[in-house]
Amino acid sequence: MKTAHEIRPGNVIMLDGSPWVVQKTETTRSGRNAAIVKMKLKNVLQDSTTETTFKGEDKMDDIILDRLDCTYSYYADPMYVFMDAEYNQYDVEAENLGDAVAYIVDGMEDTCQVTFYEGKAISVELPTTIVREVTYTEPSARGDTSGKVMKPATIAGGATLSVADFVKTGDLIEIDTRTNEFKKRA
Amino acid sequence: MTTNTQAQHWDIFCAVVDNYGDIGVTWRLAKQLSAEYQLTIHLWVDDLASFSHILPALDPSLPQQMFNGVTILKWDQPLSIGYKPGTVLIEAFACDLPREVFEQIENCRQRDTFIPPLWLNLEYLSAEPWVEGCHGLPSLQNSGLKKYFYFPGFTKKTGGLICEKALASERDQWQSEPQYRQQLFAQLGLEGISDADKVISVFSYETQALASLCQQWSQSELNIHALIPKGRSLNCLASIMGAELEAVQAGQAIQYGALTIHILPMTDQDGYDRLLWSCDFNIVRGEDSFLRAQWAAKPFIWHIYPQEEDYHLIKLDAFMQVYCNNLSPEIASTWQALNLAFNQGDTKRVITHWERLNLVDLPLQQHAKQWPIDALIDADLARRLVQFVKNR
Repeated sequence: MKTAHEIRPGNVIMLDGSPWVVQKTETTRSGRNAAIVKMKLKNVLQDSTTETTFKGEDKMDDIILDRLDCTYSYYADPMYVFMDAEYNQYDVEAENLGDAVAYIVDGMEDTCQVTFYEGKAISVELPTTIVREVTYTEPSARGDTSGKVMKPATIAGGATLSVADFVKTGDLIEIDTRTNEFKKRA
Repeated sequence: MTTNTQAQHWDIFCAVVDNYGDIGVTWRLAKQLSAEYQLTIHLWVDDLASFSHILPALDPSLPQQMFNGVTILKWDQPLSIGYKPGTVLIEAFACDLPREVFEQIENCRQRDTFIPPLWLNLEYLSAEPWVEGCHGLPSLQNSGLKKYFYFPGFTKKTGGLICEKALASERDQWQSEPQYRQQLFAQLGLEGISDADKVISVFSYETQALASLCQQWSQSELNIHALIPKGRSLNCLASIMGAELEAVQAGQAIQYGALTIHILPMTDQDGYDRLLWSCDFNIVRGEDSFLRAQWAAKPFIWHIYPQEEDYHLIKLDAFMQVYCNNLSPEIASTWQALNLAFNQGDTKRVITHWERLNLVDLPLQQHAKQWPIDALIDADLARRLVQFVKNR
């Protein structure tokens, strides 16, 4: 069992007798420090999606399905193709990548976990920390070196996120894929 | 399908966490649903002693009693009063429902003749943008039941704000007759307040910013009266009140330069509303008094419930952005800076911004009068909630 707070995109959870792929999670904070987790789920059996909300401490079954360590290989519209150590290739629909799709870039070497249900690749989980290049961000406005002042930045692949004010275009940065937040300069 | 024997009442479960906040909100909602929508409401409360502070006629020793048309039930563990599912089940502020409730609604689900109650989690009020995206979403449960998250809020896409239908007209009538204010102060045992004096109600958490403001008020050219109940606000005024702090009694007045601190007796919710309507400025906290201060149509400081990693400041900022939407930048920035300084316990900046607030006092008062009309938009929370239930 995992709490809703611990569930990540790419996990498969069991609800009301059906397996659901977690495509997206968004954690916010309600009153008195309580976490609220909004998820986009895809029903593996019915191919339908839904948005749902949980208390952060709600418990749910995280199903252990077949998983393989893979690396991203190439994009063949509309499929993202991943490859395991034995050069077997697996097609994953963009929708099943959830938030991870923003971090898929050509040449990436991150080891991803591809999850299978009845032989079909249904989700991809990125490592907790990935490194990406900042392709554009405004120069530091205030000369802040504390890391507390944030500004927007675009990274390789086109995703945007908030980074510390001292980060420059061309820098490599670490990103926490659970929260989609900047961690530090790599 | 439902049958004639299925109970039609609504159950609201409330776990008292902070004495008056959670129970304050649920009690107001229960009263309003009963009075304005003729619904049969069962309000289950785990701490009747705390509840009795805002409902003095309540007897904490009784397991069941009725006030304002609402049946108030003692929520003990295990439940000594049997829970019978009605049409709606509300867990206030994500409280954990008793095991017996789950068993009963699971029984409902397994029987064809009964529909399980519509299960709602009434969440905390927040002005953050994400609330719109979460309001009304179902939460799939392992049991197959669905629970809906109901978020109060300031926009049309949220669950609205608790406000009784007659509140605005009652407030306007009260505020148009100055003698009501004097009568109220007399009832509360507050002496020596003239019409020219500035009266400020204080219901905050502990903060040195309040002590700092009191120092400032003590040197004011105007006479200032701070009306403070015993409790958390007073705890930070030891430097001013000294040994008297331990022994203070409701009705007591402590003179400190131009400032008179009046110790307020506890009051019921209607009495608290009238107090807010009668003061020139209100300092409020949490959720219930925060909303009532807005309906009082008077300027206020919101001392928000502190959260880990200063997350409350994000919530404070989200509200201030909404509240100041139609305010001129000069007034907005002053009021926002004052609220921020108070919440950060910044003893210097809170004084600076309080002094600046005097310069924008009149437009801020005008804004406070208009705000309740703008904030309610089409419908209050109870109306939206009843509609939400009908649509499910």
